[in-house]
Amino acid sequence: MNTPTDPALELDEVTVSYGPAPALENIGGVVGPGEAVALIGPNGAGKSTLIKAILGLVPLVSGRITVLGRTPAQARREVAYVPQADTLDPEFPISVGQVVLMGRYRRIGPLRRPRAADRRAAGDALEQVGLADRARHRFGTLSGGQRQRVLLARAIAAEPGLLLLDEPFNGVDAVSEQALLNAVAVLKGQGTAVVVSTHDLALAHLACEEVCLLNRRQYGFGPTRLTLTPDRLRATYGGHALELRGDRVIVAHS
Amino acid sequence: MDQIFIAPFAHPFMGRALAELLVLGALAGTVGVLILLRRLAFMTDALTHTVFPGVVIGYLLGGEGGVFWGALAAAAAATAALLTLMTRHRAVTEDAALAVLLTTFFAVGVVLVSRESGYTADLTAFLFGRILTVTPQQLTETLVVTALVVAALAVLRRPLLARAFDPEGARAAGYRIGLLDLATNAVVALVVVAAVRAVGTVLVIALLIVPAAAARLVSDRLVLIVPIAAAIGALGGWAGLAVSYDASVHHGLRLASGATVVLVLVAGHLGALAAVTIRRRPPAARTARSTP
Repeated sequence: MNTPTDPALELDEVTVSYGPAPALENIGGVVGPGEAVALIGPNGAGKSTLIKAILGLVPLVSGRITVLGRTPAQARREVAYVPQADTLDPEFPISVGQVVLMGRYRRIGPLRRPRAADRRAAGDALEQVGLADRARHRFGTLSGGQRQRVLLARAIAAEPGLLLLDEPFNGVDAVSEQALLNAVAVLKGQGTAVVVSTHDLALAHLACEEVCLLNRRQYGFGPTRLTLTPDRLRATYGGHALELRGDRVIVAHS
Repeated sequence: MDQIFIAPFAHPFMGRALAELLVLGALAGTVGVLILLRRLAFMTDALTHTVFPGVVIGYLLGGEGGVFWGALAAAAAATAALLTLMTRHRAVTEDAALAVLLTTFFAVGVVLVSRESGYTADLTAFLFGRILTVTPQQLTETLVVTALVVAALAVLRRPLLARAFDPEGARAAGYRIGLLDLATNAVVALVVVAAVRAVGTVLVIALLIVPAAAARLVSDRLVLIVPIAAAIGALGGWAGLAVSYDASVHHGLRLASGATVVLVLVAGHLGALAAVTIRRRPPAARTARSTP
């Protein structure tokens, strides 16, 4: 069993490959319970691939991933994944409350009806992202940022030990961004480890104590203040698409 | 009204036809919601055509009673082939591969029927069904299929919903997407097989798609869409059968039962579309005005 002091996530020389060239090479690092790590790198750097590897959905060529003391496949029930909301069909006839309850499906099982505890967990999760009054609305009628918060609520309802977020702040308004950050902070306070892929360096500073700089290989993994340096960012992004304004670093994409 | 919608079903053959269409309509309406959620309408159309040669082979081997099991075997084979095609050969786009498969199987079926002496009559029966000659045994088989499908949907409803809404999230949550898709195809294939003798391979697609599409127009909520689709399917079957009987017997206007059922369903769908369009117009206009 995993004890609270054990790392929530250990990456050990992880190499993943789809074709002849590796998509990720020798990624390594440790994330403790209640800690958050930002995966930072350009598009196509392998951020999504690393998240899939942590979920046990892509095989490793070499290396090892340990999630909550077990293999990714064994730990899957305690790992929650938040996809990008804009990949989902807005016409799908499903209510916000139903989406959040999906986070409880693995606990509910195939035949049983949701118990009071399941409904309470779903309700609390929706409250935590500030959308308790929208439970009966159709998912697709919400704004992009609100949909992203609903998907986070679904993950919270699963009571995960490790939370994986794929670009959660893309196209999200300021209110939703703040709500997402608050909810993630609460989860971290409860001991959930968080992995978040993002382009937003300011948010990495705000929400994550650690960063992992990625572009097929690893350009740094460690405390945000020490790791998120202009030099390393320039190396990660290939030197060109980068502007520096004092302390704040903005990375422009083509 | 009684004379049109109730009296004809005093004849045993009409009573059996009604029972068959009520069960099939409700079953196809329910499964149609799953097809709609997964956006599998075209794949379902392909499946109905791939079942066709199986129907023919079943008939050639075992007569009227053989149709069911021939179709079942073909549907199972086709389901497996479709899945393999889709997952393995990414080089061919999905819809092109499906179109090739669809016409190939259909042609094989037609070639097989054309070797028979009563070619045209047989072909018509396979394509458009013979709802008025439904036997008690066929009715029993339809009920067995219905029980199987309803049981499968009851057990798998949450995984199927999760997979339809968010495939990546479902995979991440540990659901076996491949198995769920196989189950979906198998369920659709079973319904197609059960419906083929009653409404034929060409019209069965309408029974699956139209009630679900109409129900989706009327409601946003899945808990309502499923029963509404089942009700529309069953009522459409009833009304279509009654109208075709009345037109043929009392007005000398021979209407094919299966096709009449489909037209009644489509009319219902258009009615729902019109109702929803009218109902939604005022709020839409308000929004347009209030937008700066």
